[in-house]
Amino acid sequence: MKHLRELLFPLIAVIAAFVVGGIFVLAIGDSPIKAYSELIGNAFAWPDGIGYTLFNATPLIFTGLAVAVAFRCGLLNIGAEGQLYVAAFATAWVSMKFGGVVVDVFGQKVSYSWMTLPAVILVPLAIFAAIFAGAFWGAIPGFLKARFGSHEVINTIMLNFIAVALCSYFTQYHYKVPGDPIMQSAPIGESAHIAHLGKFIPGLPERIPVNLAFILALIACALVYVFLWKTKWGYEIRATGANPSAAEYGGISVRKQIVLAMAVSGGLAGMVGINEVLGYHHRYYDGFSDNYGFTGIAVALLGRNHPVGVLLAAILFAILLRGGIFVDAFTDHVSKDIVQILQALVILFVAAGARYRGSLNVFGLLKRSKV
Amino acid sequence: MKLSLALLLVCALAIALASTGCRTPTSYATADDPHKIHVGIVFDIGGKDDRSFNAAAWTGVKCAETGLLPNGQSCGKPKLDIVLRDVEPGNPTSIEPAMRAFAERHYDLIIGVGFAQAPIMESVARDYPNINFAIVDGVSQLPNVASLVFREHEGSYLVGMIAAKTSKSGTIGFIGGMDIPLIHRFEKGYEEGARAVNPNIRIIQNYVGVTDSAWNNPGKGKELALSQIGKGADVIFTAAGNSGLGAFDAVEQAGTQNGRATHFVIGVDSNQNGVKPGFVLTSMVKRVDNAVYDIVQQVVNHQFKGGFHVFGLSEEGVGYAMDDNNRSLISPDVILETEAAKQKIINGQIKVTDAMAQ
Repeated sequence: MKHLRELLFPLIAVIAAFVVGGIFVLAIGDSPIKAYSELIGNAFAWPDGIGYTLFNATPLIFTGLAVAVAFRCGLLNIGAEGQLYVAAFATAWVSMKFGGVVVDVFGQKVSYSWMTLPAVILVPLAIFAAIFAGAFWGAIPGFLKARFGSHEVINTIMLNFIAVALCSYFTQYHYKVPGDPIMQSAPIGESAHIAHLGKFIPGLPERIPVNLAFILALIACALVYVFLWKTKWGYEIRATGANPSAAEYGGISVRKQIVLAMAVSGGLAGMVGINEVLGYHHRYYDGFSDNYGFTGIAVALLGRNHPVGVLLAAILFAILLRGGIFVDAFTDHVSKDIVQILQALVILFVAAGARYRGSLNVFGLLKRSKV
Repeated sequence: MKLSLALLLVCALAIALASTGCRTPTSYATADDPHKIHVGIVFDIGGKDDRSFNAAAWTGVKCAETGLLPNGQSCGKPKLDIVLRDVEPGNPTSIEPAMRAFAERHYDLIIGVGFAQAPIMESVARDYPNINFAIVDGVSQLPNVASLVFREHEGSYLVGMIAAKTSKSGTIGFIGGMDIPLIHRFEKGYEEGARAVNPNIRIIQNYVGVTDSAWNNPGKGKELALSQIGKGADVIFTAAGNSGLGAFDAVEQAGTQNGRATHFVIGVDSNQNGVKPGFVLTSMVKRVDNAVYDIVQQVVNHQFKGGFHVFGLSEEGVGYAMDDNNRSLISPDVILETEAAKQKIINGQIKVTDAMAQ
């Protein structure tokens, strides 16, 4: 019953957002029922709908968890976008350099690799590279906050720009195949590819890109839960987030927790690179992220910074992401920007709703928060 | 507080419910008839109102659907019985889902606009071998993909001739967008056309950049144009998308003498003669609209063929634009000479180098 109560409030926010969004749709000149059936209905068709929804959900689970972990420490990580860019580039670089990549450039064979590693070594190495690069990029603003007290929101935003620009630069000037008009790196070694789930699930075609990274995302949800609520480090992070002064007084090094939380957060965001590079594009593709890092903030907010909530919220936003395309294509006036309107409305209602949490006690369903 | 929240929700709900009862007539007017040919078009990042490349593709499919231009006038071709749906992806990650959305609904023809979509279209087309695909400016070897490519070097040759004939300083300029083989094709054709008129002509070439943003940097385009003007160029051909519009500003800034502009720009892709009338010598037009219309017509007539569909001078797929805005800028004997060269290219007497084939 307690969990149901936790679910109720975000649910009200989502429904309210859809109601108000429906007014927008109507004002634009389409039927809300038609628009919403395109928006939601396509997510449940087997196999394409479900497969693509889970594929879209994978990066949002990672970024949602990333934002949630930082938030539990009282930090707002706006830098998941930059962290996942750096991580994607790192994992692409490792799986290119150690993947035995030979590309045909104007009739000449050009090697992009130092050596060829087998999949059993290369895949873990590439996954490690993604997590490490993300964690490193996340730890920078953590360190700056711990050491100099500079605000993590400013620093994570600024690091986003640096990350995106650096990755573009290296792709364009060092790792692009000459003559390729598309901003993408040379392909990664085939031994670094991770399997699509279609290989294991009968009836799911292998062309659908939902891959082992989705399983990793589920594991990450479980691990984040264990980390935050069953380990000493998690306890210290939560204590820091709840009240830094009290935590300090209790013998917890707040500075250490800030760096740790940002590193874990960055590592989680970095795992998006596994899904996008090893599981889908098989190369670093400039602009691969559809604002996953920023949507992750909304996912964490709606999911109330809990791994289960994040999972559910990520799936909801993944449904919208996919449905937006169908709305754009198959309605007369509404464009896929309706998804952004809905996301914004959800956030508004969740944020505004915090004020009204108490008032819902009238239904006897919610207890006033005691923390 | 409780009351106001509850009231708000009830009001919103009431409006939403009421709204479902009164759909606007348009949603029925274009109800998808399953017996018609279904065409889906996925635009490039620029979107359908870029006044250039995407806009031309939109004109083509709109003409096929309604027989009208976007401004409501007749497009001069018969209306085909099709259902048309479009997506403006806005970012590269939405291109593939958009194509797949059409494919999942068993559309008969899916059109992708821009070379960047070619690898994406290949992967989708491989999964749906029974659906016809067409890619503008891109190349695919799959049997169910039509590659709509243009012989831009032929059109560029003609505007190169006009540029060399018009130039008084003996120096002309070329501004490319992104430094890629496709744009080298414009550059090479332009150079050959100019040299055919005046073997000693000086040609200054610049590229805006090497990334996607090179298509959308009018400031840099203007800077390059001004520096070319400083070096003596008096006609500048741009093949730089939105960045090219900076060169339009630059020639306007260079001013007029006795009522005639001292420096000219040559537009690209769409007819841009009207962008700055009097300063635009002509435009190297790429008839993406014709190419797109043709492919729709072929699908409607069950004559779709994959592979290369090449649009050169002989198919009127490329050319130079003449209208009231520029008729006074080019002398009639230049036109005669250019037309003669056009015939020679069509007959094969003049071979224009294709920089992409090298």
